[in-house]
Amino acid sequence: MKLTFPHMGNMYISVKVLLDTIGIDYVISPECNKKTLAYGSPHSPESICLPFKTILGDMLYGIQNGADTVLFGGGCGQCRLGYYGDLQRVIINDLGYDVNFVFLELGEMSFKDMIDKLKPLTKGKSMFTIVKSIILAIKTVFFTEALYDFSNYTRCREKQNGKTDIIMGIFHKKLRDTRGYSSIKRLIKKTKAELKKVELKKDFIPLKVALVGEIYTLLEPFANLEAVKKLGNLGVEVHNHISVKFWVVEHFLKKLSPIRLKNKPRLAAREFIKVDDVGGHGIETIADTIGAKGKFDGVIQIYPLTCMPEIIAQATFSEIQKRYDLPIMTLIVDEMTGEAGYQTRLEAFVDMLERRKQLQEMDLVNAKSGMSELS
Amino acid sequence: MNVIKKEDTGLVIGIPKALFYFQHNLLWESFFKNLGCRVILSEDTNIEIMNNGIKLCGNENCLPIKIFHGHVHYLADKADIIFIPRYMSLNKNEYTCPQFCGIPDIAPLNIGKDIRVIEVRLHLDKAVNITVDSLKDIAFHLNIDIKEVATAFIKALDTHNASIKKDEKAIHGSSSSEEGYSHNIVVLGHPYMIYDRYLSMNLIKKLNDRKIRVLTSKNLDYNTKRENAFPFQDKVFWEIGLDNLGSCFAYTKNKSISGMIYLTPFACGLDSLIIEFIERRIKKESTMPFLKLTVDEHSGEAGFDTRLEAFLDMIS
Ligand code: SF4
Ligand code: SF4
Repeated sequence: MKLTFPHMGNMYISVKVLLDTIGIDYVISPECNKKTLAYGSPHSPESICLPFKTILGDMLYGIQNGADTVLFGGGCGQCRLGYYGDLQRVIINDLGYDVNFVFLELGEMSFKDMIDKLKPLTKGKSMFTIVKSIILAIKTVFFTEALYDFSNYTRCREKQNGKTDIIMGIFHKKLRDTRGYSSIKRLIKKTKAELKKVELKKDFIPLKVALVGEIYTLLEPFANLEAVKKLGNLGVEVHNHISVKFWVVEHFLKKLSPIRLKNKPRLAAREFIKVDDVGGHGIETIADTIGAKGKFDGVIQIYPLTCMPEIIAQATFSEIQKRYDLPIMTLIVDEMTGEAGYQTRLEAFVDMLERRKQLQEMDLVNAKSGMSELS
Repeated sequence: MNVIKKEDTGLVIGIPKALFYFQHNLLWESFFKNLGCRVILSEDTNIEIMNNGIKLCGNENCLPIKIFHGHVHYLADKADIIFIPRYMSLNKNEYTCPQFCGIPDIAPLNIGKDIRVIEVRLHLDKAVNITVDSLKDIAFHLNIDIKEVATAFIKALDTHNASIKKDEKAIHGSSSSEEGYSHNIVVLGHPYMIYDRYLSMNLIKKLNDRKIRVLTSKNLDYNTKRENAFPFQDKVFWEIGLDNLGSCFAYTKNKSISGMIYLTPFACGLDSLIIEFIERRIKKESTMPFLKLTVDEHSGEAGFDTRLEAFLDMIS
């Protein structure tokens, strides 16, 4: 048996650890790129959201490179992602491939369901090995995330532009041939040490921007046209609330917990939308945007064309901007999104945030001097 | 029998003639009438309503959502309260488009006027209490006793269900030679597309004028649709997917049908998946002529008619 699975940002790093530890053979497509889209797009429905096309591209790449089983964890709320798998199966069969599919509906499944669904993959492996692999994979999620967070920290502060990108580029290249938990952990450690050596600007306080939006587009650099990198290189510190870690905690770890944990920040969205779910992560987008007030200079929402939950979220923004005095920009991506126009919009937004910050600081200074005159 | 007090509450409830209206108009109209409210409807969709809707909401939205905004806007200063139900799921595992979950909140935000909206929530996959709670809210807002509201709702449901039965029977058992019809054609799509005369460019009437009998998902009973909703017997493709996939594959077995037309608004997230299934399966398993007609705000009627004519020429 040879497994393949689609990408979602840096998730593959942890899935690699999982499969390596259990001892399952796999093939994954290279990090999502133009070719992935070229693989998937011709076989996809016209006006389907972008993730469908790249995910299908990943699957096809895997199958054409020897995979006989496709693993896919879909099912976020009531949006299309939950239905992706069924159509992808039909498309792949129509293309004449005879492969097995294991779909994990992470929205609805209990932990036990999950183990059951995975049985065909884990035949002959001991429960001990499986549990151990899961634990190691989850650990990997956390320190991978920490590495990416750290690179976001150095990228916007580095003295010499491009240093962080070079280090992360090497990391990605090496990662392809690195297998097993300890090797991957070592590589991440080494990369972090490299990043620590990057010389940073002194006393520089970067602008802070929160990214919100559709999960796949946020996590997949190719889908968001490297927004994180681009912003970082413009000297902006970027925070992505919807991360792989968030996803694992929400859809996986919380399942293990006997008590239903209330997603507190989510409740903030009640101010505008009176339900807990509008599919995808639309509610999180609203809640995180409100939560950005006071912590961030601005918010950028990114989503794929025709993404319904995010369209709903976007409708609340003009009111949020008014009530919370918070700049928000929306970027919609699809196959046709042009690099140049995208960069220009990011730059214009950052310029605007900078001017705003300067004005606010001036106001503050003026207010202070006004006060001292009074006394 | 319960007697519902019919005295006028003095309140005017506005119901937008869009989206849910085409499926459940009787249910909601009779509900509010049973409560003693005066009900006003927005006009049939027209160019003014459409243009207002387009102006009011973001360009990313699908055409039916834009048009819905136009209808709410029309009612904004004519009704005391506007009724916008929140459909989250309409049966076990039958979810609705995400847009339907947000629309009671989103429409007032987009329109920006101070409008009072009341909703009834349907989330039948999860729990009936959700609906009951929303009825309590209505009782509170309209200052009517909850028992009365509940009775009014149940009575309205009966009215609605009776009409569904009638729709199913309307065609059953009759063959195409009767009443001078020469062909049978199935029209698929969201109810708010195919029954809205403006959005559908009068498709059903155009077909009838050409002596073609039109069959829709309304003419099939629920179980037939459910059984045929390939390949999703458990988790169907939303409620609308059940309706369209189920109808499509039930009708493909029917020899007296000469063709199928799927009317879809540009950029509908759900249709993009459903139509892909239909086209793939029809190509593989039957010879049923199938036409996908896409409508957007810029579609001209001439182009639409040409495509329709070409299709009809092919099947007759
Ligand atoms: S949330 Fe958006 S991108 Fe994800 S399936 Fe739904 S429409 Fe597609
Ligand atoms: S089902 Fe399609 S047309 Fe209807 S509201 Fe959703 S996206 Fe719009």
